[in-house]
Amino acid sequence: MKKWMLALLSLSLILTFTACGKKAAKVAPPTQEPVVEKVEEPTTRVEKPVLSEEELFQQKSLEELNKDQVLKRINFDFDKYDIREDMKPLLQANANWLLKFATVQILIEGHCDERGTIEYNIALGEKRAEAAKNYLASLGMNPAKIKIISYGKSKPLVQGVDEASYFQNRRAEFVITKK
Amino acid sequence: MNIRQTVLLVLAGLLCWQLRGQEEVTIRIKEGMPMIPVALPAFQLNDLAAQKGEIANPVYETLWNDLEFTRIFKMVPREHYSYIPRFNPNAINFKDWASIQANILVSGQLELTADDRVIFSFKVYEIASERFIFGRNFGGKKELARLIAHKAADELLKHFGEKPLFTSKIVYVRESGNDRDIYIMDYDGYRPTRITFSSALDMLPSWSSNNEKILYTSYRNLSPELFMFDIYSGKTELVSSGGSNYAADWSPVADAIVYTSSKDGNAEIYLKNMKTGQEKRLTFNPAIDTSPCWSPNGREIAFTSQRSGTPQIYVMDAEGSNIRRITLEGTYHDSPAWSPDGMRLAFVSRIENRFDIYVYNLKSNEIGKLTENAGRNENPSWSPDGRHLVFSSNRGGAYQLYLVDYDGRNLRQITSSGENKMPKWQKSAK
Repeated sequence: MKKWMLALLSLSLILTFTACGKKAAKVAPPTQEPVVEKVEEPTTRVEKPVLSEEELFQQKSLEELNKDQVLKRINFDFDKYDIREDMKPLLQANANWLLKFATVQILIEGHCDERGTIEYNIALGEKRAEAAKNYLASLGMNPAKIKIISYGKSKPLVQGVDEASYFQNRRAEFVITKK
Repeated sequence: MNIRQTVLLVLAGLLCWQLRGQEEVTIRIKEGMPMIPVALPAFQLNDLAAQKGEIANPVYETLWNDLEFTRIFKMVPREHYSYIPRFNPNAINFKDWASIQANILVSGQLELTADDRVIFSFKVYEIASERFIFGRNFGGKKELARLIAHKAADELLKHFGEKPLFTSKIVYVRESGNDRDIYIMDYDGYRPTRITFSSALDMLPSWSSNNEKILYTSYRNLSPELFMFDIYSGKTELVSSGGSNYAADWSPVADAIVYTSSKDGNAEIYLKNMKTGQEKRLTFNPAIDTSPCWSPNGREIAFTSQRSGTPQIYVMDAEGSNIRRITLEGTYHDSPAWSPDGMRLAFVSRIENRFDIYVYNLKSNEIGKLTENAGRNENPSWSPDGRHLVFSSNRGGAYQLYLVDYDGRNLRQITSSGENKMPKWQKSAK
């Protein structure tokens, strides 16, 4: 019995020492990434509902609607405030949306690029906003639901000194203020 | 103005605008008098002022810079003072000062009191006649050292028959981060004071004729409206009603303003009686009419109109009649500013996407360019004496304010931090 106990003790000692010895030795970094088990989705998948435009409109806040740019901004020619031919489809799309949601009220912001004086650009930006308002009214929108404001060159959309930047800054933006 | 004069104006105007194509047209308007050479030896300091040298320098430097700025005086270079014996205020040897070509000698004495007040005394001598002409004493808190120097310089101007200039102030818009507020500062860019504190855009400030109120446009109620701030009471009141309202200019002769408003649906110029509140519309044109500016006698108004297709400068009688076009070439002119003597109109022209400041002489029909090949230059405004202008320029990257003489000389930058725009110089100083 004693002999057996001694053998067990010595065995455990040896094991302890070898373990210690192993610990002291430099451990090689694992070469393989730990395997991550893939967890499958449950088979009963919930179909994400496709919301209609109406439902989206109901669900989203004013900020979200404006952030999503449901109403597209339009751009203008240098020193001009008449509506460009290629901007008319955008205004038509805006008008279609606005006619669909007749409770909506909007603010049209007129903006200019930096190549003008401050005083003149306020007037020019206002003319741009007004041109956009008149165009929407001609497409059937109630002008009483449109307010306009001009920021002149105070609020450029992009910073840049090339025609592409200037073009982006010469714009009218359509902000939904009430739905 | 009869037809013949108008035709002459048109022809001369055409000629001038063609000349402009050759670049580098400078105006040479003879002001008659040669500049007066002034010597300003170092001030005598009392013990306390000598100990705290930081007072003496600002007063001396400010006075020197003011006098040099005028175009009335010419400062005798300091290094010439070393050719003659050291200045002794108790035994002035006028022959010495005459030998370095000085005509006027200004002797200053600066005292600092134990309670940190500054007392500045100066005496002015005419060197040729070896005479004392006049002297003044000014006292004030240490912080007002620069103002004391400006007041002293104004006294000199007044003595030589000029209007005071150095105590005049400039109102302007300062942008820093998202803030855009209105500030007032000394003509030389020192001592800025903020006067509006809204988080919205505040812009296009201008002075009332008594310099007690500031008119400006603010978007604080979500549309550009005209406000009037009383500098002394600190009260602000709304002046406009409906539409976009901006570019106000106070009549130099009456309690009335002209400004641009779109309250009737289009940018038009309105006259408002500030006592009765009564308004009169002055322009009736489907085009843009803006940037009105009184002539110094209050009889005419210069403004910008796009009625010909592009923005051009026009002048009309103060009742809105007798409209005539001033700029005849070019496709973009705005921001007219009438000089205090009524002789000149400064404005901004855009030519090949360069924005420069031009001065048009209404009598001779000559046109001069004040800025050249250096960023965008905007919003010119005349000094009370009509010899200088302040304007904003982005020539150094950010928009900063600059001073320049009526003939394009002596350009200097007066602001340097943040962005500074839309300056308006007071029309008079006390």
